Amino acid sequence: MNDDTKGKSPYLSRRAFGRTALLTGAAIAAPAILGRAAFAQSADALKDYTSANIDWKREAGAEIMVGGATHPWSNAVTPFIPQFTALTGIKVTTDFRSETEFLTALPIKLASGSTTPDVFMYLAYGQGITAGWLEPLNAYYGNKDLVDLAWYDEQDVLKPAREYPLWRDGERYAFPITAEAQTLYVNKAMLDQKGLATPKTFDEMLKVARALKTSTTAGIAMRAKAAGNATFPLTGFLYSYGGELMKDGRVVYDSPEAVAGIEMFTTMLREAGPIGVSNYDWYEALGDFMQGAAAMTSDTSNFATDISNPTKSKVSAQAQFAGMPTAGDKPSRPNMSCWQAAVNAKSRNKNAAFLFMIWATSKATSLQTSARGLATTRASAWESDGFKKAFGPQAAEAAVLNLKNADADLAKRVRFHPQSPQILNELAVGVSLALSGSESAASAMKKAAAKANAALRT
Amino acid sequence: MTMATKAAAGSAASWRRERGYFILMMLTPAIVLLTGLILVPFVVGFGVSFTDYILSLPPAQFAGFGNYLKLVSTPEFWDALRVTLIFTVASVALQTVIGLGLAVLLHEETRGVPVLRAIYLLPMAVTPIAAVFTFRMMFNPSLGVFNHLLVSMGLPPQDWLGTGNMALFSLVLVDTWQHTPFILLIIAGGLASLPGEPFEAAKIDGATPWQIFYMVTLPLLKPFLAIALLFRSIDAFKTFDIIYVLTAGGPGTATTTLNMYAYKQAIEFVSLGYGSSVAIVMLAIITIVTQIFLRRSRLLTVAD
Repeated sequence: MNDDTKGKSPYLSRRAFGRTALLTGAAIAAPAILGRAAFAQSADALKDYTSANIDWKREAGAEIMVGGATHPWSNAVTPFIPQFTALTGIKVTTDFRSETEFLTALPIKLASGSTTPDVFMYLAYGQGITAGWLEPLNAYYGNKDLVDLAWYDEQDVLKPAREYPLWRDGERYAFPITAEAQTLYVNKAMLDQKGLATPKTFDEMLKVARALKTSTTAGIAMRAKAAGNATFPLTGFLYSYGGELMKDGRVVYDSPEAVAGIEMFTTMLREAGPIGVSNYDWYEALGDFMQGAAAMTSDTSNFATDISNPTKSKVSAQAQFAGMPTAGDKPSRPNMSCWQAAVNAKSRNKNAAFLFMIWATSKATSLQTSARGLATTRASAWESDGFKKAFGPQAAEAAVLNLKNADADLAKRVRFHPQSPQILNELAVGVSLALSGSESAASAMKKAAAKANAALRT
Repeated sequence: MTMATKAAAGSAASWRRERGYFILMMLTPAIVLLTGLILVPFVVGFGVSFTDYILSLPPAQFAGFGNYLKLVSTPEFWDALRVTLIFTVASVALQTVIGLGLAVLLHEETRGVPVLRAIYLLPMAVTPIAAVFTFRMMFNPSLGVFNHLLVSMGLPPQDWLGTGNMALFSLVLVDTWQHTPFILLIIAGGLASLPGEPFEAAKIDGATPWQIFYMVTLPLLKPFLAIALLFRSIDAFKTFDIIYVLTAGGPGTATTTLNMYAYKQAIEFVSLGYGSSVAIVMLAIITIVTQIFLRRSRLLTVAD
């Protein structure tokens, strides 16, 4: 025993005991106190939900898994999931991965008969329906315990989004969770410097792109990679020139109108695009625009959240958001898309999964997620101050205009086809060949359409 | 038979039985793993290749040799085979030349060689997918280091992955960076094991260093070169990660190898029947070429 420890009792003194007991008690009580505080806070927020005539607690104790891509929707919804659990007693686990990884693995998992994820984000709608992976939802909408239609107010859902998941037999297999329309983004400062106005037609757009192309700056950057999921921007060009991807069950992206659209898209990128554009995915196009390395880009309205964020974007102050240009006297037809969320047909907790989606797409949740910049499917959320602040009022206005001009039916024809990944891949490969200049747009699209049609089974 | 010989025979039989059990016990984990991870998937894949199975359009129907007939009549398949062969031959040839050269240079025990040896082996220690993502950043036309270097030297920037030939060249470059150390390692091991007498004899006979390399070193290294070539060729033939991350088979289909083609068909288009037939054909090509190579090179033949 050394001098320091000499004379010290191995037992606690009365004061030390009291102090320890107090701290231990506080430590034990803390979660309960904080939990009550949190619950009190969420109970307040839950009022918007408990006013609905829905038996939120009917599936209490169930556990569901929500699968999806790392995406503005999953990022915006995740922080509010504890609120859903407090409301329903349903425990939620999430499995969010990169978009490519998620979309590649999901069909394999569903085809193997997996009961999870119970709810999942989905794009290739037709593929899922014909394969029987998606639960038909009309019967659930008719169950008064699960949904209060007056409270849910489906008329508040933007029309293209509302119509998007309607299958040809009138059945619904999914909830639209985002509404995205192709938007034109321009760097106003660059245009002003050359005395150019925001283009309203494709010819003007080409002229602006050529004028702003320098050895260090691209006139325009858009995704053009030879992959099906990189076809979003070029499809808006094709539609606006009067072309279609599919008609009467056949691939028709080799029509003269479609070829004219592809011709404009590839010419613009070849003459004014960045070096290496043929390998560009959306993040390269967005990155170039945000860094001021490209004067224009055209892609999903969701880009606006990042472009307007000064911590991410160098051009947040000079970016302008515009409607999709027109080709001659043809109407503007921007591409549009809705990410959807479906209930797994093999799920063991379908009611709980349905309740989750009713909660996630409700007005109240949409207001909360839209304040984080998520472009939801609800008009009330789009008009909210929170959304306009996070997304930018001008961006919101442009996105609404483009959504109004978009034709959901055109987009659905290919997305709803059971072989849509292959149809879009052949389109991407054809455009890639036209962009490289190794083939004319007409010849490349003719071959691409022939290949896609030969692969179609239905 | 006396009691003693009977007992001895009994004990030998029991020893053999026990030895059999022991061998079986030791092999069971490997057999179970191989069956589960190789044999079963192979049999299933082989079976599926004779169906028209598309995941999104069930049920699958028996299609006989339909997928194989479609495959040989599809230009994309032959195109993918051509790209695969170009990639394999170019990569392996480049790696063999560089690997052999470096191994011979590093064989001399001069100052600094051990450090150089360690440096040259570093790419092997890097996780392949991490290396490929790094190369993707380096190839970036506007922000990548390669173009930065070219421009700082007064040379024009290159579209590394944007045109067909350039993209294929870039893929070969990355594969060479990653796998040359493997060839270097095998050949360096071979060099260390070579007998000294032939070299001394050649020196006494007045052979030049080049003659020694060409007429002594190279013939003696043949078995090691053959092993390195075989392993690398099989590996290069089925390369996936580099291509998937850097070009995804594009631009157009310029870098779509057989493996990428099979992946696109089976996983992206969920056309499992046709995709499986491509994978089976790949397996057949690798097996046949390997067998021919082994027989010709007599690698597995034990000398009398």
